[in-house]
Amino acid sequence: MEKPRWQDWIRERDDPRIASTQPEALDDITVLDLSYKSFAGCYCSSLLAEFGAEVLRIEPPEGDFIRKCTPYGVLYKGEGLNYLSEGRNKFHITLNLEKPEAREMLKSLVAQADVLIETFRPGQMEAWGIGYETLKAINPRLIYASITLFGQFGPQSHSRMPGYDNVIQAMSGNQYDNGEMLPEGKTYDECPWAVPTKAGPWIGWIVAGTYMAVGILAALHWREQTGEGQALDVSAVEAYTSLEDWAAIWYQGAGVVSERFGNLSIGGWLYCFAPTRDGAVFLGGLRLEMWQAFADMLGKWDEWGAAEWKDLADFSTREEQLKWAERVFAETSQYTTEELVRMAVEYGQHGRLAPITPVVAPVCSPEATMRDPNWLDRGIFTPVQDPVYGEIIVAQAQYKLSETPIRTKWVCRPVGYDNEYIYLKYLGLGPRKLKKLKEAGII
Amino acid sequence: MAEPTWQNYKETKFSKPLPLKGIRVLEVCTLLLGPSGPGFLARLGAEVIKCEVPPMGDTLRSMAPFSYFFKDQSTSLIRPNPNKYWIGLDLHKPEGQQVFLELAAKADIVEENLRPGVMERWNVGYRQILEVNPSIIYIAKTGFGQWGQYAEENRPSNDGAAQGMSGYAWISRFPGRPPLKNRLYICDSYGALLGEVAVLAALHYRDRTGKGQYIELSQSEAIMRTMSWVWPYQQMTGKGAGPAGNRDVSICPADTFRCADDTFVAIAAPDEAEFRGLCQAMGRPELAEDPRFQDHLTRLQEEHAVEILRIIAEWVRTRTAEEIERLAEEYGFAASRVRSIQDVVENAHSRARGFLTEVDDPLLGEFLDYEFPVMMSRTSPRVRWSVRPVGFDNEYVMKYILGKSNDEIRRLYECGALGKWAQVRGRRPPPDWDGKTGLILSRE
Repeated sequence: MEKPRWQDWIRERDDPRIASTQPEALDDITVLDLSYKSFAGCYCSSLLAEFGAEVLRIEPPEGDFIRKCTPYGVLYKGEGLNYLSEGRNKFHITLNLEKPEAREMLKSLVAQADVLIETFRPGQMEAWGIGYETLKAINPRLIYASITLFGQFGPQSHSRMPGYDNVIQAMSGNQYDNGEMLPEGKTYDECPWAVPTKAGPWIGWIVAGTYMAVGILAALHWREQTGEGQALDVSAVEAYTSLEDWAAIWYQGAGVVSERFGNLSIGGWLYCFAPTRDGAVFLGGLRLEMWQAFADMLGKWDEWGAAEWKDLADFSTREEQLKWAERVFAETSQYTTEELVRMAVEYGQHGRLAPITPVVAPVCSPEATMRDPNWLDRGIFTPVQDPVYGEIIVAQAQYKLSETPIRTKWVCRPVGYDNEYIYLKYLGLGPRKLKKLKEAGII
Repeated sequence: MAEPTWQNYKETKFSKPLPLKGIRVLEVCTLLLGPSGPGFLARLGAEVIKCEVPPMGDTLRSMAPFSYFFKDQSTSLIRPNPNKYWIGLDLHKPEGQQVFLELAAKADIVEENLRPGVMERWNVGYRQILEVNPSIIYIAKTGFGQWGQYAEENRPSNDGAAQGMSGYAWISRFPGRPPLKNRLYICDSYGALLGEVAVLAALHYRDRTGKGQYIELSQSEAIMRTMSWVWPYQQMTGKGAGPAGNRDVSICPADTFRCADDTFVAIAAPDEAEFRGLCQAMGRPELAEDPRFQDHLTRLQEEHAVEILRIIAEWVRTRTAEEIERLAEEYGFAASRVRSIQDVVENAHSRARGFLTEVDDPLLGEFLDYEFPVMMSRTSPRVRWSVRPVGFDNEYVMKYILGKSNDEIRRLYECGALGKWAQVRGRRPPPDWDGKTGLILSRE
């Protein structure tokens, strides 16, 4: 029998369509998520919940403020759209930590949990008497994960500043040198868009939450070996800074402060967005042969003397990049995006330097992305049948696993939706007791 | 503050164990999407063996800001590649493939970011590794995954392609301007980070059951996962998500403003107490009572948001960033100047925490690197050493891990399966290297 093609063989094993028939990697883990006013914490617990961890999302009785952080104030069935996407697979309970009785209930949950995630200002949990030192005594196996703006220690950890995504981005260093260059002789008043520019998505929060998920899982592995829990501390600013790749070394080695370079890349050539007749494409050719292939693809092999090129570093200085960008953009502007993308795929098959292929990719609107058959086929935008909210499209199945794939069972829950089930399951509190707790403002 | 837990954290890192001690990772990775993942694990204490095709190795070795090389090394190579062991192994050659399988048999995790099917063509793909190590955890990171139309077309990808194809760049610019490529290689670095969530979840599953598995990650899909509201918004409203410059359309007020001295400051004050504080700081306490701004959902509505941001912008234009940072602390809202890399590197708080960590590298000398940004009280991650020339640790890996004899190693060199660096910038050692320092074996 012939061996099946690799892509068919692996698809049979990791297509998200069969995910629900597979085991879950983290279904032995219970997580308490106390995040407040922080998408970092919510995102972190989502990543664990997608792998099957039982996440108890603990909110104050009025709900987490983050639910009201929604684009242009748009709500869907009373829910903000960010939270609608990130309540996934979690059980939602309420607990008023301002009340001592509620804190005792939290301790009982901690005794039965593996991980606790919190995002309060440093010192808040201690002030409530539920800081790590106290909880560790209750459950030495606990992994206690704090995500804040500045972290749990260090001179600025005493700051009372709240940590929102746009401020994280500004503090990280990654906004400063991102954005369009101010055209020569122009002012900010004339070009209010040529300023340090942040990324649109909540990437500062999300990077912090993702790092914490990695930290929690590493701590979990350590606990499997030794039985020991521990405390984890992420400063969201440091987390987002740390994805920066070369600027800190450049500054230390050469004293240069990285400044905005628009759609070109200080880090190397060929690596830019270029205009087309109907939009823009990304061009990538980080090996000399790829840059040569690109020139060849445009029919410029002889005119540009591509055969003589020796080293990409010769093209990577500021002046050379600006010079070559002008030449390249004049060419790309004559084609449509689709034409250029096809030319590159073609070149990779039949070009002079094939299989060397210059990277040419369309710059899409997220609308186009959501319609792209390639992504639909790969299950990223498969609507979730949510028991409360109906059919909802969120991004999911972002990685595909052959043994323990992730899955989205539901996208969100209203505030306190799971109080009955969870308090009965973990604390044996039935309807009558819960009613009293509710009346007392404890849940 | 949890004083006892974090006391002397920076000073006591090296008296603690590492969380991934004993985990061996084999990487065949280039540029950033590939190597960054094992780089995170290496900071957490995994033993990472980086395989490069000699003598040129990782393409990333060519990359440097405006062609500036740090001691002849690519500046870009440093952050994704600490604490690794570097071998120059030619996987085109059967002898190289054999060595790789011997290493894979002794590894826990394999990471690669080649195009689909390439590893299999080299006889070191997932199916072939399964024969020597059935419990392997294997992650392949690419632009488009292993299957589907774009994978079938064998399209190459870069970070910038993913920024374009996901819509990330589309919404990260000012309205009316062309899409803006983020200056970070965010789809590479973030894709790699997210991939490690899957790898470590798989490790937990292996700890429980002994079973390994295959993981595929597309960097475009990874970055789509971060664009939370965009997808349900498009579904619910039938409208495309658009750009908004520095304004956060989900939080109000939250924007970047120009100060009196033409520097920039980011401000956020969405919850009621924060907004009240900001209004007081502006000397406009009545704004907090204005029906247009009475609660967060009301402020978020387009005309109200535009108006309050205009009012704040006018105020900021008369102040310096320092003043506003001070007022933010005093009145309880969030604000920061837009910090440059100089501000970041010289930040006293980050240095006190050890996030900016001093590396005393045998080849590169002393410099500050970013520590893994999850501080772990019991098992502190840390950077110990930095990047190495192609094939620098061949002898160590062949001898210490595979137990090869001198003759066997010599034969591997002779057939070209093993190799070392080319005498090219980015590949060779720093110019002041003495031919010995940093080598673990064979220093003579």
